[in-house]
Amino acid sequence: MKKLLTGNSAITYGVTLCRPQVISAYPITPQTTIVEELSEVCSDGRLQAKFIRVESEHSAMACAAAASAAGSRVFTATSSHGLAYMHEMLHWVSGSRLPVVMVNANRALGAPWNIWCDHSDSLSQRDTGWIQLYCQSAQEALDTVIQAYRLAEEVLLPVMVMVDGFFLSHTSDTVDVPEAKAVDRFLPAFKPRYKLSADEPHTFNIMADTTLFMSFKHEAQRSMEAAKKVVARVDREFKARFGRGYGLLDKYRCQDAEVVLFTMGTAASTAREVIEDFRRQGKKVGLCRLRMFRPSPVEELTRLFGGVKKVAVLDRDNSLGAGGIVAQELKAALYAAPRKPKIYEFIAGLGGKDITPETIREVIDKTLKQPNPGSHPVWMGVEA
Amino acid sequence: MNKMKNKKVTKKKPTIPPMALSLEGTRATKTGTWRYLTPAYQNKVAPCNEGCPAGEDIEAAMVLSGQEDYLGAWEKITRENPLPRVCGRVCFHPCERACNRREFDEPAAINALERFVGDRAFQAGKGFAAIQPKKKEKAAVIGSGPAGLSCAYHLASLGYGVTLFEAEAKLGGMLRYGIPPYRLPREVLDQEIRNILSLGVEARPHTRVGADLKWEDLKSFDAVFISAGAWKSLVLQIPGENAAGILSGLEFLRKVNSGETVDLGEKVAIVGGGNTAMDAARSALRLGAKPLILYRRTKEEMPAWEEEISEAEEEAIEFLFLSSPVRVLTADGKVSGIECVKNLLGPPGKDGRREPRPIEGSNFTLPVDSILSCIGEAPDFSFLPENLKKTAGAVFVDETGATSLPRVFAGGDMVDQPRTVSHAIGAGKRAAMAMDASFRGKNVSEALRAARWGEKGSLSMARYLAGGADGIAPTVVKFSDLNPAYFQRRRRKSTEKLPASERASDFREINAGLSPDAAPEEAKRCFNCGVCNLCDNCFIFCPDMAIAARPDKQGYEINLEYCKGCCICVEECPRGAISVEVRK
Repeated sequence: MKKLLTGNSAITYGVTLCRPQVISAYPITPQTTIVEELSEVCSDGRLQAKFIRVESEHSAMACAAAASAAGSRVFTATSSHGLAYMHEMLHWVSGSRLPVVMVNANRALGAPWNIWCDHSDSLSQRDTGWIQLYCQSAQEALDTVIQAYRLAEEVLLPVMVMVDGFFLSHTSDTVDVPEAKAVDRFLPAFKPRYKLSADEPHTFNIMADTTLFMSFKHEAQRSMEAAKKVVARVDREFKARFGRGYGLLDKYRCQDAEVVLFTMGTAASTAREVIEDFRRQGKKVGLCRLRMFRPSPVEELTRLFGGVKKVAVLDRDNSLGAGGIVAQELKAALYAAPRKPKIYEFIAGLGGKDITPETIREVIDKTLKQPNPGSHPVWMGVEA
Repeated sequence: MNKMKNKKVTKKKPTIPPMALSLEGTRATKTGTWRYLTPAYQNKVAPCNEGCPAGEDIEAAMVLSGQEDYLGAWEKITRENPLPRVCGRVCFHPCERACNRREFDEPAAINALERFVGDRAFQAGKGFAAIQPKKKEKAAVIGSGPAGLSCAYHLASLGYGVTLFEAEAKLGGMLRYGIPPYRLPREVLDQEIRNILSLGVEARPHTRVGADLKWEDLKSFDAVFISAGAWKSLVLQIPGENAAGILSGLEFLRKVNSGETVDLGEKVAIVGGGNTAMDAARSALRLGAKPLILYRRTKEEMPAWEEEISEAEEEAIEFLFLSSPVRVLTADGKVSGIECVKNLLGPPGKDGRREPRPIEGSNFTLPVDSILSCIGEAPDFSFLPENLKKTAGAVFVDETGATSLPRVFAGGDMVDQPRTVSHAIGAGKRAAMAMDASFRGKNVSEALRAARWGEKGSLSMARYLAGGADGIAPTVVKFSDLNPAYFQRRRRKSTEKLPASERASDFREINAGLSPDAAPEEAKRCFNCGVCNLCDNCFIFCPDMAIAARPDKQGYEINLEYCKGCCICVEECPRGAISVEVRK
């Protein structure tokens, strides 16, 4: 059924369709309406789930971990400082191989005080062992939540689903909400191999000696590698059932492109218009949106950029002292590739600053004109 | 061949589960090996118990009252004190001053609960069962006030024959002849005395030792307890003191409480600021007189208990402070007035109270019809043998209550101790214990030390009989030993009182006590300092599930195979009933 929904509402519909049994969350702008709406569907009985009000995000994730360990399908959502506050528990959840699904509404981290979108919050958590998927539309957010549970429960790793704060969380779009029965068929009930149970007692997360610790981490690494294929398969299956698929990389006019704009999130949909303009001028420009940040889709990136001369990476984040994180990731992914493009780095849209068609046009122009990238990323629209 | 090998290796299933989990439950991890601190359940002394001169196990009585087991609470109290209905009305309750709840909101209303428990037990027909004296020794008790009654009760309970000598017609001493019925109704006193006598105590009223009986006649007894009280009133030592219309406050109270008529006229001056002065003034009011209390210092220094003062004020009794009588004015040999001098307060004296200093030329006179002098009482030693040691106007006793004569003990207002009902009851019990210990050939001092609640001289019969083997540590619990996070602020329940306007016409009891609804609520305000009351906090908090209920469900036990010594239980115990020991 088609509905006009904000990104956050679409996520609430998606979560409800997945029938989580426990939701523990703490409200934070711009995620708040997800938590509010979920508390409503829990209280009015549309969703038979235990909604746990917690005193902090650290506790939200701790509750989610415990409930998941006890065999429940769980959900939580957060943003920015809330995600930062969860940091310790993010490691525990992935280390415990708990299939927790979380939505993060991307928002800058202070200081200075800021509530608007950039990707520095979730990218700061890249090493916590979570699968990270970045969405571009309300529809994709809803669909990705459903896919995330299938994925997480198969590979036993937690999944973080990102939506751009305000640009996506708070804007409305037409969304096709799937039928509950269809989702039930796609996503059967969670049946954990091990769960905390008085009937079959186990201690979870016992101390592992030095040898075992590395073995566990190696196992998790193998699962993370395997997740690449599972993400792709789940997406294909989803497309077969619901008619919508997204891939690990969302490519637009890349086939013959000599210059590709590489970015994440909603900036990609703005870029599409600009790409069309360049195409009309006869310039071979394409767009690639990185949907799966973790695990890093090295093979797909190598295949795509093998025939591309230049890549303009638009980072909505910055690692102080190093540069854009997506650009670094791309460079690392392509290091072993036989043929590599020149990588032009741009920082834009931090703390909610608009990435307009003009910004993107300027990024592509610079990339087209300059024979070689500069030694440092270019900061777009900074008042000197 | 190589290929085969490789295939075999890659196909080998991982031998470890995806996450680190034990093959067994928590029990497989013997966390006890980590321990270097060991928590242990250790009941301690509640400050109210230490503060009770009668040595009651108040804490235990509060637990039972909170469970509405008032008969059980009565058993606990009367193990120590046979007069809960009396004490529940007239005790000045030092227990409440010691109560840790005072530092949280308001102390628990222990005194009011004691009365409630006593009255409930009476209504339920509870009493003491007669005991056949099993032991050959016999004791004489001289004086049937609270000290004598307590001593007789405890001796009889221990199986000794007791004879109780009383000079007056009825038993009770100061309880009967000093305390007015509006504070202690006579039927309450009579009932509790009957109760004690029902144990088989032989009472000999109308028998004044020294007159009706000689000290030497007591030789047939194996031990004697002297508790004849302090009945000699101090005199004002001012001109005109012998005029008609002057009476000591105690004599006045004795007459009124014996049913004799006393004509005070209209205006009566009461000289003094102690409890006798308050009782005399309030009794005079009820006889239709207009009392005026003259006190040489200010209200701050008055030795009477606050409750007595405030009740006198409620009854609109007049006070004149900083005034000392200097002369009685007479007409036809009868009191017609009193001349006083105004005082200033000088620096504090030996007792810490500021000393009054007369202001020269500030004399003034008041027309009065009678004067009640209430400036203090002293014991009468005339019936005692000369060689019995006395010091500072009191019979000398050591820390066991023993006098200078063998197997002669003393207590109550005759000895140097605070002149309160509960101190008298405690002294009677102490003598009973000391006699028993001495009859049984025990070391008396050691036997009494084992019976102590804390360090203030409070002695428990239950602890005495257990010989100190009741598992209670000597430590008295302070407020800082508690975890007040688990307590909620709740107002102290107050007792119902007769309106002041209805009190002047008769001697009806003015305090109606706690309501049946209020009593258990008030008992539950008790923190149960230092004593496990099965609240389950330790059980809930133990991260190693090392704490479990004992098989008898009367406490918990710690499984040291799993206790890793974090001592969270100690921290989270609301009442300080768990201690830490440094041992493996």
